[in-house]
Amino acid sequence: MPTARPRAGLTLAALACLILVAGCERPVGCTGEYCGTIVIASGGEPDILLPPVSEFAITRDVTDQLFLKLADLGLSGNTIGDEDFQPQLAERWEWDAPTTLVFHLDPRARWHDGQAVTAADVAFTYDAYTDTLVNSSFRSSLRQIAAVTTRDSLTVVFRFRQRYPEMFYDAVYHLRILPAHLLREVPRDQWRSTAFGRAPVGDGPYRFVAWKAAESIELAADSTFFLGRPHLRRVIWRFTSDQQVAVTQLLAGDADAVEVLITPDNVQRACADPKIACYPYKGSAYGYVGFNLAAPGDTTRPHPLFGDRDLRRALVMATDRERLLRNVFGDLAKVPPGPVSQLWWIWDPEIRELPYDSGQAARLLTRIGWTDSDGDGIRDQDGRPLAFRLLLPTTSAIRRQYARLLQEQFRTAGVDVQLDEVDFSLFNERARGGRFDAIINTWNSDPTPSSGFPQTWTPAGFGRSNYGRYDNPEVDRLVDRAVTSAASRDQARRAWRAAIETLNRDAPGIFLFATSNVSAIHNRIVDVTIRPDSWLALLRTWRIPADRLTDRDRVER
Amino acid sequence: MAAWLVRRLAASIAIVFAVVTITFFVVHFAHGTPCGTADRPLPPEVCRQLCRRFGCDQPLWVQYAKYLTALAHGDLGESFGLHRPVADALADAIPNTFTLALAALLVDFVLGLALGIYQAMRAGRFGDVAVGNVALLVNSMPVFWLGLVLLLVFGQWLRWFPVGGPNNPVLCPHVDSPYCLLDFLWHLTLPALTLGLVGAAATARYQRAAMLDVIRQDYVWTARAKGLRERRVLLVHALRNALLPIITLFGLAFPFLFTGAVLIETVFAWPGMGRLAVNAILQRDYPVVTGAALLTSAMVVLGNLIADALYAVADPRIRVRGGGASA
Repeated sequence: MPTARPRAGLTLAALACLILVAGCERPVGCTGEYCGTIVIASGGEPDILLPPVSEFAITRDVTDQLFLKLADLGLSGNTIGDEDFQPQLAERWEWDAPTTLVFHLDPRARWHDGQAVTAADVAFTYDAYTDTLVNSSFRSSLRQIAAVTTRDSLTVVFRFRQRYPEMFYDAVYHLRILPAHLLREVPRDQWRSTAFGRAPVGDGPYRFVAWKAAESIELAADSTFFLGRPHLRRVIWRFTSDQQVAVTQLLAGDADAVEVLITPDNVQRACADPKIACYPYKGSAYGYVGFNLAAPGDTTRPHPLFGDRDLRRALVMATDRERLLRNVFGDLAKVPPGPVSQLWWIWDPEIRELPYDSGQAARLLTRIGWTDSDGDGIRDQDGRPLAFRLLLPTTSAIRRQYARLLQEQFRTAGVDVQLDEVDFSLFNERARGGRFDAIINTWNSDPTPSSGFPQTWTPAGFGRSNYGRYDNPEVDRLVDRAVTSAASRDQARRAWRAAIETLNRDAPGIFLFATSNVSAIHNRIVDVTIRPDSWLALLRTWRIPADRLTDRDRVER
Repeated sequence: MAAWLVRRLAASIAIVFAVVTITFFVVHFAHGTPCGTADRPLPPEVCRQLCRRFGCDQPLWVQYAKYLTALAHGDLGESFGLHRPVADALADAIPNTFTLALAALLVDFVLGLALGIYQAMRAGRFGDVAVGNVALLVNSMPVFWLGLVLLLVFGQWLRWFPVGGPNNPVLCPHVDSPYCLLDFLWHLTLPALTLGLVGAAATARYQRAAMLDVIRQDYVWTARAKGLRERRVLLVHALRNALLPIITLFGLAFPFLFTGAVLIETVFAWPGMGRLAVNAILQRDYPVVTGAALLTSAMVVLGNLIADALYAVADPRIRVRGGGASA
């Protein structure tokens, strides 16, 4: 039987093919307006899906779909007063007294396990966020709230210590309401590792489906969501090792959306793709060179160089920030008018700042005694060269690029800059300990300057984020006025502007860039609205028209 | 044999212990705190509380003693970056790394052996020279660079293969059907090829040299003189003896596969131990770093142990006597 073996082989191969083909058939059934699936490629992964104990932006993106706030920021980004906020869990609210805010919960709100959302959940959430055992990093943002109590099952009362412009924002923005019936029994000091955080039960437009570590998180639309059924049926995050890989997945068609395209090159490639739509929006980060005003490692003495205000001013004027920005970011950032991000409502290009004027910088340096006496190209004073070290983390390509450009620009001004490139942990440790001359730093900000600014540029941030120990009582007074006692948004804006202009005159840093973001999203997805402080905050309104659904959208699992 | 095995196991445990100890101290001597990310560090009080909880505020020797005690009880600690037990995180990652390493090993040795034999059979001719030069070129490429090139060409430009991850998360979040098995293999192809190709280039060169050495031996001439077909002479008589250096290479391949996986998993977003370890290092997540080092060293040691055992299988002349293996 010489032909028996080949025949048997062929039969087996045919059978295998049949099995595979049968397995390849996917049940493709969903039709209509509520079938869409979006795959979001992300360069990071949440640590835990429990809002009070995570600080990651990606955690916020996911938990924004799972947990509701009482009310949320409107598209205007206005954090003052309550008129621009949109109801979420609270269907309405009123002020009982200047420092008493009453929320009325929507009786239709349900946890995904079917239980009703109650005022007790809100009080429980506030208690958890402010508990030292949970130690939420949002705790300091709630310090002006004296108490949260329940009046009945659907009414909750917030009492504030004093009246100030952003009371409402503080009450609603950071608190994502949690299910008391599921978390009450979990010891507070174990919240960072509770099983709930890996399979949460929320009350938002999407319910949790699955989390495969280092791979993906899947959410499914809650078709009974009381504020309106989400159009996209499934939301899947794919986690990659960095954002560049995420962009590659988008360009290859393996993903539908990325939060930011990072580089001008990526923007060019993605936006040229006819299948991809680009959505520019304001960035929340700003970067700067911060001078250490105290001697490195000794906060009692001024820095031998940067203790001198005129020297700092000269270095700011010697820096062509616009040119640096074009080199590094192209159009993906703006030169900030001070320590402000584009996201902040106080952003104002008219804020006065020191100009780029290399001639004036040179004259000022000469006037304060820094001249090139030995002709080596570096200015000196009493035999001491005008030299300092610039601290930066190796993890940031942007900052490394800036450092080299700054080094070159300062060299032409007669200033010798050596780079201290260290890993992020060491960078952080040295920054906090004040063990540096100058630092290139980046801050990601909340939608309001009221918390970030004082912690970075007033004595309230000593030992925390005010690494360079900048201290000007006039700035403190103006910031305090803007944060606590401004009667209107205009009054607050004027106070902020005065504070920043005063700070700019002191030149505690060189404010290099304020990022602009560009999201890229597959163009079958329409009605895309991006809120700059949280790009997926309005995801439930995005949709895919029935005639643009792909098999991937229609597939049933 | 039993005594030899016991000694080898004891030596293996000592090696793993040394690796864990060195890793523990090197990681802890590195500067920094495990608190926060580059642009959003945790508030100091949160950081202090975390340190108290994870014991990083205690003297190093106390931390070490506690770590060893916990390790003896099978407890690798808790990751302060992932907020979960290290053992769970590793358990999620190991199957992926193991699958990738196994697939890469398959590419490495099947392709490497085939090319080596092909070259030996055509020694000095065009095929030998061409394959040899290509192998040298591939062997000299950094593995991450080759990965990026393959990703760009076959993933982004041609779109023949997916550009990352172990599966299609929409259609196949789990391997629960033949379709999803195919999907998984499709996702595995590029990372396994990248890792395997570089190894195959080296294996081919070793195999060629070993085959050339063996086919000049008397017993090969004898086999030919007996009238055996050339294929049988080469594959049965010559290859078995030419495999010994390859078995050595097999043992050495394990460290390469696991270190290569660190880069490849990062490039291809493959959720294995390499990516886990890289993220842990960047976050100063000491328990995960030490746990990953423990497991990787254990696997490398095990691989070498298997290689030693294979010697005896491949070469009947090798017998284990008291002090060790000898011919």
